[in-house]
Amino acid sequence: MVAQKQTGTGRAPRQHSLIWLQGLVCGALVTLATPTALLLGVLLGPALLAITLDREPGRPRARSIALCSMAAAVDPLRTLWTAGHSMATATGLLTPTTIATAWIAAAAGWLLADATPMAVRIALEALSVARTAQLRTERARLVEAWGLEPPPDDQ
Amino acid sequence: MANPDAPRTGGPLVAKQYAVDVNRKLPPVGGLPAFGVIDQIGGRSDLMAVQLHRCMPARPRVFQTLATPIEGLLTPVAHGPAGNACYAICLAPPGPSVQSRSRPWSETELLNCVLRPAARVLERLHELGTTHRGIRPDNVFQSAPGQPVVLGTSWTMPPAMAQPAAFEPPYVAMCLPAGRGDGSIADDVYALGVLLVRLALAGLPLEQLDDAAIIRRKLELGTFAALAGDHRLPPIVGDLVRGMLAEDPEHRPTPTLLLDPASARGRRVAARPPRRAQRPMTLTNDEIWDARSLAYALATDPDQAVNAVRCNAVEYWARRGLGDAQLTARIEDLVRHRDLDAPSGDRHGGAEMAAHLIAALDPLAPLCWRGMALWPDGIGPALAAAQGSDDASRLEEIITGEVAAGWAAQRAGRCDAAAFRVEARRQRSWLQQRGQGGLPRLAYLMNPLLPCASPLLEGHWVTSPADLLLALEVAAGRVDQRQVEPVDAHVGAFISARLERRMDKQLSGQTNGAGGAVALTHLRILAQLQSRLRTGPLSALAGWLAVRAGPVLATVRKRERRQAMEERLQAATATGHLPSMLQVLEDPAARSEDAQEAQQAALALESIDAELARIASGATTRAAMAARIGQEVAAGFGLAALAAVLAVAAFG
Repeated sequence: MVAQKQTGTGRAPRQHSLIWLQGLVCGALVTLATPTALLLGVLLGPALLAITLDREPGRPRARSIALCSMAAAVDPLRTLWTAGHSMATATGLLTPTTIATAWIAAAAGWLLADATPMAVRIALEALSVARTAQLRTERARLVEAWGLEPPPDDQ
Repeated sequence: MANPDAPRTGGPLVAKQYAVDVNRKLPPVGGLPAFGVIDQIGGRSDLMAVQLHRCMPARPRVFQTLATPIEGLLTPVAHGPAGNACYAICLAPPGPSVQSRSRPWSETELLNCVLRPAARVLERLHELGTTHRGIRPDNVFQSAPGQPVVLGTSWTMPPAMAQPAAFEPPYVAMCLPAGRGDGSIADDVYALGVLLVRLALAGLPLEQLDDAAIIRRKLELGTFAALAGDHRLPPIVGDLVRGMLAEDPEHRPTPTLLLDPASARGRRVAARPPRRAQRPMTLTNDEIWDARSLAYALATDPDQAVNAVRCNAVEYWARRGLGDAQLTARIEDLVRHRDLDAPSGDRHGGAEMAAHLIAALDPLAPLCWRGMALWPDGIGPALAAAQGSDDASRLEEIITGEVAAGWAAQRAGRCDAAAFRVEARRQRSWLQQRGQGGLPRLAYLMNPLLPCASPLLEGHWVTSPADLLLALEVAAGRVDQRQVEPVDAHVGAFISARLERRMDKQLSGQTNGAGGAVALTHLRILAQLQSRLRTGPLSALAGWLAVRAGPVLATVRKRERRQAMEERLQAATATGHLPSMLQVLEDPAARSEDAQEAQQAALALESIDAELARIASGATTRAAMAARIGQEVAAGFGLAALAAVLAVAAFG
């Protein structure tokens, strides 16, 4: 309990400071680079939403969605920065195709975050079944050779 | 009596020489069946075969002593098992027994034809240190009137076992028939004296009475008065017989003295008649007037004896009724020792006290224990005859309690108490050796010619371990091998008693342990026997032991090794060589390896079971692991995509 209290009292100010820092960065970005902020705000909108909604430790879904969305946002952002970094360019880049690409990437990230654990689990279960079969065979051989008790039915 | 012209038969062969013609029965000898004999080597025609009784062991020492023939005695020539019985080959009687003559014998005939020849034989037996103990009318033979008599067999059964009560001193007649012991030559002189009376009178006045009445009458009146009564005996015979029938063996004339009847007649013994009480003591409605009759009454009625001891009735009667101060003092000593020594709750304390009391009342009395009487040197034959009966338990009590030593101490002037004590202690130690057959073993130890009484050997007369193996070989084809052990209690006791080099360790384990251990112990015992005695192959017995060896094989854990051992056992069984079977089943190297590997296999099995259990209960863990790995993989994919796009943007 003491350790938990110490941990709790130690982490809360850091989270507050991170939130404060993130707000500061976002504020600075909106103030100083408004086109970039607009473009990223639209393209990374699902990621921001996922970060807000994902309550799992480490936010695995939000992380996957964010990475995929960021991958889709790199090209429009480069275009914005090479085209003068103006609001007109930013709004011009926010075409349905660009937005759809970014949001599909976000959806792919979400799907990846949910499907990969299932696939891994299927793989692990398959490995367990194979190992169980191998152990049962070995056990049956020992029982047969040494006249030991038969394998229990519940295994 | 044997017919020399009889055809040679294929009957049972004794000592590889004497064919017993079981179809030619002769008159019984000493109460045992007799048959004609054909001497297949020597061609002798004066022999007969006496069939021995299974529970009445012959006297081995007399067999050895009488190896040299004695004139006037039917001596043994050979003995041994033949077929399903055991026969003793001996000289055939020269004629009918003296019992067949109905008219009285004259004094001259009695002296010349009976007394002198018999005394000569007894003198020779006395020199050889043995006794006859079978002098009675149906065991004394005469070839023709006027010829000297010949004494019959006396070694085919325990001493005096077939003697009627009238022909034995009362202190012998009251004993178990098989427990009368070798006795002394004076007992033979007594029997000869009774025979003389019987022949002189052509009958005995006591013949119509039962044994107990004869004994009681002899004790009350003295043997001579009880037997001769008012009858007139020839004068010389009468004088001789009076001394020969003295109650105390020390008062009887020796056989040497009897060879000269004139001097024997003049010998007078100062035997005092028993003191008669002024008033009787009443026991079970019988009035007792003298000490030795009281001793007999107490010996035959153990309950009364214990009661009399408890209420001091005997002490009171000895002082007031009998007026014998010496006897009273002895009894008082006994009672005082009982009060001091006897622990409370000693279940045999009363019986022991009664035995001592009887010995004090009548120093001539035999050892009396809870209604049973015997002479200590007759314990061995008594054990053989009593197997399985109530007498056996009382004999066991006598041996366990070393009662004979206490009895001998009571009559120290008449016997060597130290020798009796040593013998009693030896018997007790034999009996109490753990796990080695108990009473049956003791019976075999004390009766070297007693055959093994195991029901497995039905029909076989087994007196040696070599015969035992052959008999078991035959029995193997008859018994249910899956249900019956080849070494039962009697076989174990017999082997334990008969082997010179003991197998104590093996025999003590024959009743302990699981089925496999017992079967292995039996195999070990019989294999050692076969090895020591160098008997030939015993295929049937080997098969029997192989059937019983199932539990031994089951102790080998590894199936392949077990099957290999089984195959080797079958091969060894086929040879009939039991040590080879033992070698296969024991095989210490293989068994050690098997135990080691079995331990490893058990550990491996345990490990497998643990891993299976871990897998069965690890679904949640695996799900958590899958979630963690999957998320990391998903993040990895996203990061890879981002990195690829950045690389394209930078270098593309």
